[in-house]
Amino acid sequence: MSENIYIERALEFLTFQYGFVPYALGASVLVGVVCGLVGTFLVLRGFSLIGDATGHATLPGVAGAFLVLVWLEGRGIGISGELHNSVALLVGALVSGGLGALTVGLFSRGPRVRRDAAIGIVLSVFFGVGIVLLTYIQGLETGRQAGLESFLFGRAAGVTPGEFWVLATAGAALCIAVAVFFRPLAILTFDEGYARAVGINTPAMEIGLLGALSVAVVLSIQSVGVILVAAMLIIPPSAGRFMSGRLTGVIAWSVGLGAVSGFLGALTSYVFEGVATGPAMVLAATAFFVLALFFGPHGGLLWLWLRRQRRARAEGGTA
Amino acid sequence: MGLVEWVAGPWQVGDWMWRGMLTVHMVAIGCAVLGVFLYLRRMSLLADALAHVALPGIAAAFLISGSLDAPVLLTGAVVVGLLSALSIETLASRPNIRSDAAIGIVFTSFFAVGVILLSTVMRDAHIDTECLLFGDVLGVTDQTIWLVVTVVPAVLLLVVLFYRWLAVSSFDPRFAAAIGIPVTLVNYGLMTSVTVTVVAGFEAVGAILVIALIIVPGATAHLLADRLVVMIAIAISHAVASCWLGMYAAIAFNTSAAGAIVVVGGILYLLAFLFAPRHGRLLPKSGGKRRRSGVGDQRAEREGVAT
Repeated sequence: MSENIYIERALEFLTFQYGFVPYALGASVLVGVVCGLVGTFLVLRGFSLIGDATGHATLPGVAGAFLVLVWLEGRGIGISGELHNSVALLVGALVSGGLGALTVGLFSRGPRVRRDAAIGIVLSVFFGVGIVLLTYIQGLETGRQAGLESFLFGRAAGVTPGEFWVLATAGAALCIAVAVFFRPLAILTFDEGYARAVGINTPAMEIGLLGALSVAVVLSIQSVGVILVAAMLIIPPSAGRFMSGRLTGVIAWSVGLGAVSGFLGALTSYVFEGVATGPAMVLAATAFFVLALFFGPHGGLLWLWLRRQRRARAEGGTA
Repeated sequence: MGLVEWVAGPWQVGDWMWRGMLTVHMVAIGCAVLGVFLYLRRMSLLADALAHVALPGIAAAFLISGSLDAPVLLTGAVVVGLLSALSIETLASRPNIRSDAAIGIVFTSFFAVGVILLSTVMRDAHIDTECLLFGDVLGVTDQTIWLVVTVVPAVLLLVVLFYRWLAVSSFDPRFAAAIGIPVTLVNYGLMTSVTVTVVAGFEAVGAILVIALIIVPGATAHLLADRLVVMIAIAISHAVASCWLGMYAAIAFNTSAAGAIVVVGGILYLLAFLFAPRHGRLLPKSGGKRRRSGVGDQRAEREGVAT
């Protein structure tokens, strides 16, 4: 019975039969939390797709950091330990992802460059650099390139305990930073002109938000992959907008739905062979979005339809 | 070894250089011309979406028909592409979803479905996921070559035939509608052309790098020219220059040709961004500075995001 196998696997996963499961699960839930948090500010500002550019832009950093490690090793200054290696890759991702986000911000400030084009250019050209480096690495004769591909679509099962604690610590720091700057961020999100008028340093906040975005993306790419990380930044906050009319409410829904999507993604990719964590997580989030689109109390289609029906009936009654 | 021998060398060893160069030129020129119109319409990111969405389109076509013939795959990609464009428009018409969020929601979801289909039910179908994503310029099949030499000239012919409609509706859609141009039809025709060109170029340059071939030439041209014809000419030159320089760079460094072509294109864009005679950042002419920080421009930029 094939269904039994899937149920067995799901139970296996949920009862933590293997040591890596809690860390894979934790890393996936973390994606939902940090992306849901940072993504809300971006989506509300109409800046959704900058996350797409940042995600794709981390690829050359990962590949470049890998090349630097290989080069250092060749000179006898190898970094010891798997954990240091993967932290080095993440630092590379942070550098190039942050550079990508800043480039979009910089390029779109001018009459001759459109922001949508700037996003597309950064996304595709940085990704091109990443592909060039990856292909070059594949031609090298080191046995360690395995694992770089998992950055494309994410492999939560590959997150080691050491890596998980690094990710979790950085994620907690990110959440605290957003909480500390919550008020200026909120004002900036809804009214940039007012923010400037009340003395908020808007350029600094702007760069801070891009920095937070880069950190969130880098914390996520091991589980969700560089191509689909944008989905986790856009879809849960968009669902949240149908669930609440207040910023804190949208954030809470977005973080919650993101976390549950992360959980479901990790579970699905464990139960079904060949399903990568990233796409599974994204489809879970999409399912929640569709539910919110129809049944959400704020602008959900079902309520709009009911209200229109009621109004039509009322008008029919008076006529 | 002299420069001439180095340049001529790859052409004399086997036929991969001819095949690769022919394919990549066709794809790059087709993308560049369509990209100019997309850029002017602020639809650059729709190209991003359509390129990603072509992947599930191809997967769905294969699942339904069981065939890997080009016309079947093209049809699947066009149908799914138009479906995604419709979903984006429908979502964006909700008051609490902006158009860029709508694009982001739709194409990532479609793409996720495509990736899962390719890695599960289609695992045995001889479709190389990595090739679909990153392309393989030096290994194009006969089918791809035939596809690009039919599709791209056909698309370019359409652009020439409907040039006035395209031009007018790109600059001023309301005026175009007022003088009787079928704006919606032109819009969907353009999107169909983009999808067809993207799918034709899939095997050579891959789903993600083709985005660069669409967006970067048009953006470069906009920095250098004000007239549409000149913009198109510059975009085509940008495409051709990227192909040649990128191809030889890839040979020299033994790396991905598609990636190298995109990187060269990006460098050319950066040069234009910095040194363009009138709009370059490093060589400001008088009056340029004030225009750059004009409030109206920035507002227009902000409000014009991905519409």
